[in-house]
This record gives sequence, structure tokens and C-alpha cells, in this order.
Amino acid sequence: MGTERTLLRIALIIALGTTVYSCIDPQEREETPADEWFAGGTQTIFDGGASAFSSEFPNLNANRAKVHRIGDGAFGSTFVSAPAPINPGLGPIFNNVSCTSCHVGDGRGKPPLNGEQNSSLLIRLSVTGTTAHGGPMPAPGFGNQLQPRSIFGVAAEASFKISYTEVDGTFADGTSYSLQNPIYTLENPYLPLPGDLMISPRIAPPVFGLGLLEAIDEADILMHADEDDNDGDGISGRPNYVWDELAKKKVMGRFGWKANNPTILQQSAGAYNEDMGITNFIFPNENSYGQIQFSSQAVYDVSDSLLQSVSFYIRTLAVPARRNAGDVVVLKGKQIFREAKCIGCHVPKSKTKTDVAFPEISGQTIFPYTDLLLHDMGQALADHRPDFEASGSEWRTAPLWGIGLTKVVNGHHHFLHDGRARSLMEAILWHGGEAEASREYVKKLSKADRDALIKFLESL
Amino acid sequence: MKINYLIAGALVVAGLTRCSDDNDKVAPFDTDLNAQILSDFSTGVASATYTELQTKAALLNTQVATLKASKTDANLAAIQQTWKEARTIWEQTEAHLFGPVATESIDPRIDTWPVNFIDLDAQLNSNNVFTETYIDDLDDALKGFHPIEYLIFGQDGTKKAVDITDRQMQYLEGLALNLTKLTTELGNNWSAAGASTNYIAAVSKAGEGSTEYPTQLAAFKELVNAMAGICDEVANGKLAEPYEAKNPSLEESPFASNSITDFTNNIKGVQNVYLGKYKTDGKGLEDLVRAHNLSLDADIKAKLDAAISSLGKITDPFGKAITTQAVQIQNAMDAINALKTILEEDLLKFVGEHAK
Repeated sequence: MGTERTLLRIALIIALGTTVYSCIDPQEREETPADEWFAGGTQTIFDGGASAFSSEFPNLNANRAKVHRIGDGAFGSTFVSAPAPINPGLGPIFNNVSCTSCHVGDGRGKPPLNGEQNSSLLIRLSVTGTTAHGGPMPAPGFGNQLQPRSIFGVAAEASFKISYTEVDGTFADGTSYSLQNPIYTLENPYLPLPGDLMISPRIAPPVFGLGLLEAIDEADILMHADEDDNDGDGISGRPNYVWDELAKKKVMGRFGWKANNPTILQQSAGAYNEDMGITNFIFPNENSYGQIQFSSQAVYDVSDSLLQSVSFYIRTLAVPARRNAGDVVVLKGKQIFREAKCIGCHVPKSKTKTDVAFPEISGQTIFPYTDLLLHDMGQALADHRPDFEASGSEWRTAPLWGIGLTKVVNGHHHFLHDGRARSLMEAILWHGGEAEASREYVKKLSKADRDALIKFLESL
Repeated sequence: MKINYLIAGALVVAGLTRCSDDNDKVAPFDTDLNAQILSDFSTGVASATYTELQTKAALLNTQVATLKASKTDANLAAIQQTWKEARTIWEQTEAHLFGPVATESIDPRIDTWPVNFIDLDAQLNSNNVFTETYIDDLDDALKGFHPIEYLIFGQDGTKKAVDITDRQMQYLEGLALNLTKLTTELGNNWSAAGASTNYIAAVSKAGEGSTEYPTQLAAFKELVNAMAGICDEVANGKLAEPYEAKNPSLEESPFASNSITDFTNNIKGVQNVYLGKYKTDGKGLEDLVRAHNLSLDADIKAKLDAAISSLGKITDPFGKAITTQAVQIQNAMDAINALKTILEEDLLKFVGEHAK
């Protein structure tokens, strides 16, 4: 079976290579390796529909598929107030009731419309200073994250409102555009808000392909780091170093909008705890601990094995294949993407390390379009809230794989860390700081070239 | 979900990478038939079922008002009947659980299990006013089909009209209004007139300007994946989880003892999509398959029938059957998994060859 698959894959790559190569300008050939269709290496699935982000790795064995399935079930489990026969332990304060209610279809959340309850946007909180581990200092009475919802009879921390102001701009060809600049207001706090409160809104990101990102060798990530911009391209890039709760030391961060989480396991455990009030062996204290909402400390709301299964589920979500990667307009857009130096941060190709204990993610050539590093993105995007090494204007390069499937999976076109961009072009236009030159390059493009760039992004 | 991705992928890739001047040499695709199938699915199956669901929710709403005015068992029975009819349609729509029902989070808002009983009881014991807006703002586990089920059937399915307290009645009113609102939203999203989204156009204009489905093949794969997806969910989730854990509290619709009916309707939903038929018989995948491969059509139909009849052999309520009818449950899981396999392997490969 394995051999057959390999042979088929080789045959496919040869066939593909031949067809692509025979259609295009010879100069493009180097830039369109046939295997880029396989964005997730051998863990690529050919599903461009609503379930594009929700498929397991295609080659999991039966036992591992079983664990994936258990994790899948847990990812969809709705928690309720304790005591209850199934899924007790919600809250008492929380953001949402299940993993999937924010990560719909394992995909990207969108900001809530006014008064809309089902929010996949959360707000991180902190005050001046850092913890003993170098992390953001929790806001007294509120902690690290705003929990705007609560079980019956318990005070939620506060609600939040988003209002937008339109900011106009113009492309070099005279075409005008408008960006919506969000303003966040916390309302009805159960306690007065600290005077030095810092807030950072963050939308639920897609969760597929993360096992492969976790498997990229740290040295390979550092290879792209250029903190002092020694190469003088205006793009620096540096890793975040964050606290690993299990290793009890600072390690490189690679998940979350500011690379503020070191591992998928810790990210999942933190989300259980902060987002749903579900305690676990990594974060055993209720998120309300020390606040008036806290009532009692139950045993872990989610068992060790179930937490591991959820983590495994996320690690083994496959990556959707590119669509249209050989299209001439897409190839033109790719060339523009390169010329605009987008690839300075959105590094197309990575390779995963050898991992004999996890063969599915071992030695894969993947195309996530990220360097997993922090970059200064300018004042317009800044949240002014440091997160470990990340400054208030630094963000981690977001992976772009699968981004063209956002509409079919999630029904919207909202991008960036708080979903403020209403299209891919708006997302580009928000880029500043290290990406300012790239943005200006795009603003000078003709309409046809801008469209080609977007068509390329939609093929990812 | 395990699909023969490489083969499917090879077909997709091969289809997409051909140089334009080679297209003439490709075997002809019946794009008109394919467009008709997608159009008939959108209007005749998806929109038709959602519209009927909306009608049932509105009826439920009226019947709750009637019950409030006159607390008779006959009026309660009418509500219970309408609830079951609405469930029949809803479960059938789960065979195409993509588009607005997922992206607008309508599914979790009307069909979440478990119910949060602690908070539900606390709500009933409070002085809160259960307007539709108030209900709408509650968590998923406090609204939708299952809290309604609990209120109208009672814990053991023996609820009498006189047992319904005033507070329960008020809550029920809010729930029925909310269900009507959400199913209306869903119906509008699939109407040709179109509310915020017009998903009829998204699917039926596949390959002709649809932003969701750039090719007809993409839309066909969506249908097949959704059909296989619900088989997977029924066999390996809804049936397997309570059965393997021997835990009846995992059963999703216990108060009305409606679970097996739900599962059967899930598979009937697969049949609807395959045939392109709900109230009216339009063009379906069936027609494309029959034009090229009669034995595949016969095989799919046999597996559909086997899956539905295997569920019919589970005669005890599901919560009880997980201990009393293990063989029947295992047979049903096997039959539904066999259906899943032929859909995600044979039918998916087939559409890869006959749609582009």
C-alpha cells in the first residue's frame, strides 16, 4: 500500500511537472515546482470545499486515526455547567462553549457584528510589567483574557463593543479604497478596569497543518531571523521566546498571533482553560481563580488523555492542496508576490525535521508561506500590548496556506489578527512597519497586476 | 474522513493543469446536465428542505400559543408531532451540512447536545423575561431543538399538558420564536432572492462565477463529501460513541426516544442528495452515474437501502438498545460505513471523471 502510494505520487509529480512545465514561460519553471501543489507534503488532501480544513492526515494508521477521531469528538463537545452527566465544567466565566464554536470548520473566525453573541474573537488583557516567566502581567481582577460570558448567576467580566471608522486611501492608479479601523470598548466591567489596562483582540485562526509547523526545526526557523537587518532589506524578523509550562523553561514560540505559544498541546490546554473555563493538567487552576466568580476547584474538567487526543487531532489535520497553481495569472501573481518581497516574511517553503516517533510529519516539504517569526507591522496594526518578547507592534507572520478557501469553509473574507480586513487586498493594505515597502509596491501596481496577486493568494 | 485523496487529487490536478489548447482532446463533460444537477440540488433539495423546516418552526410557534391559551393534552400532542416533523426535515438536511448552516453557526444554535440543565433550571427559577432576544443571547446548550424536546416530552417522555408550568411555557415560547427566526435565516440564505448570502447561486453557478465553487467538480465534491460525512458521523459518532461507551447519556435525542428516527433521516438525506429529490424529483447525481455506470448506481442504491433497513432493525429506544441490541447496532454501523466507503471512494472518483 505504502509503496503503491509512493509510486503513484512520483508518477503524479512527474505528470504534473511535465504538464505545468510545458505550458509556461521557461523562466517561471524554477519557481513552480510541481510539488507545491502538495502544500502539506504527503499530508495534503484534495478537498477544496467546506471540509477542506477538517480532514485527517491521509496516511494515519487505524490506531492513530482512532485517536484523531476521539480528539475530533472532543473538539466538537459542548461544555455545560457542572454537575452534569457529560461535559461538565463550563466556566464559571468563559468565551465560548466548545472548541468548534470559535474554530468553525477548523477554520478562521470572524469579528462579531454588533450585538452578535457567537463570537470567535477574544481579547487578551494585561497591565504594565511582566510575570516571573517574562509573560504579560495579568490584569488584577481580570486575568490574561476577558471572559465576556458566564454561567447562570455569575458575573461576566465585561462585554466589549467594536466600532469602526473608515480610513480612505488611493492606489497609484487613482483607484480609491477604504479600510475599517476598529475601536474596542470594554463595557459594564464587574470591577473598575485597571488604569494601565492593555488589550489585544485576537480572532480564532485556522487550526489545520499545525502539526507540520510544529515539526519545523528550530534552526531552520532561526535561519530566516535577521534581527538587526544585516542584509539591509528592511525586514528583520525574530523569534518569540515564551514559557513552556511542561518543560518549565523559555522556548521558541510558534503558535498564536504573536507566536506566544510554544506547542499545540499548550495552546490547546490554554484555550480549554481561558476560553471555556475547562481545567486540565497543564492549566489546573480555573481562569477565575482569585476572582469573585471562582467557587470551587474541581478535579480536571478534561482528562489528560482527552487533552492529548485533542492536541493529536490538531496535529494531524491535513493541509488542502493548492488550486490553479499552474494558471498563468496565478503564476504572474506569484511573481509579483516575490517582487513585492512578500516572501521576505511569508517564506513559501519549509521542511520538517526527521521524527521517527511521528512518521507522518517527518521530513516533509511543505508550503505554509510563513517564517513563524515576529515582525514589526507598524502602528496601524499595533495592539500596544507586549507578549513575552513580542513588542506591541510585532506580529507573527501568519501562514497563508489554505487562505483562498476561507470563503467556502467559513463564509467570509475577514483577515488579520482581529478580522478587520474585509478582503485579501485590505489585509495587504494594512501591512506597515517592515512590510511598508511591500505595501507601497502593491499600491503602485496596475489593476491587472493587483488582481493577479489576489488570484495567486486565492490559489493557496 | 478517509478518502482516496491521491486518486481524486490526481484527477483534479490533471484537470487543472492541462494547457488550454489541449482541452479539446479531453473526453466531453456534460456540463449542462451537471449544471442541472447542481441547480436541482440547490432549489429542489437544499432550499426546499430548509423552507419546509421554516414552515414547521412557524407552525410550532403557533401551536405553542394555542397550548398556552388552552393547556390540553391534544394541544401538547400537536406540538410534539410538529417537533418530530421538524426533526425529520432537519436530520435530512444534515446530509448537506455546508454553507450558511455551518458558516453562520446555525447548526450549533438549533441542535446542540447536551442541554445545560443546571442553567436551564436556574433560568426557569429566575425572574428573567424570556423574550426571543433574551433566548437568542443564551448559550447554544440552552436553546434549539433539545431544550424544546425536554420541555414538551419531559425527562421520561411522559409529559402531560398540566405538567407544563407557566415559566416552562414562557421559556418554550421564547425557544419557538428563536427556532423560527434561525430557520427563517437559514431559509433566506438559500433563497434565490437571497438575504446576506445566496447559496443557491453559490452552488448552482459553480464554475460560472461562484466564489465558493470555482468549478462544477468542486461543487460535486462538496456534495459527495457531505454525504459521506454524515454517514461517518452517524456510524462512527452518533451510533458508535454511546454504543462503545455503553453510556446512554451520550444519546442525542433521549426525551422523545427519537434517535434512531434521526439517524434514519440522516441517511434518507443522503438519498435525497443522490437522487436530487425531495418533494419534486429533479436531476441528481443518480442521473450522472446512470449515464455512465449502471452497476455503480445499483450498488449505491443497494447500500442506501441496506443502511436504512439496518437502522430499522434497532427496535428498542437507542439508549436501551446499546445494551439490548448490540448486534443490530453493529450491523447498522457496518452498513452505514459500507455506504460511506462507496460514496467517498467510488462516487468521488466517478465525479472526478465526469465533472470538471
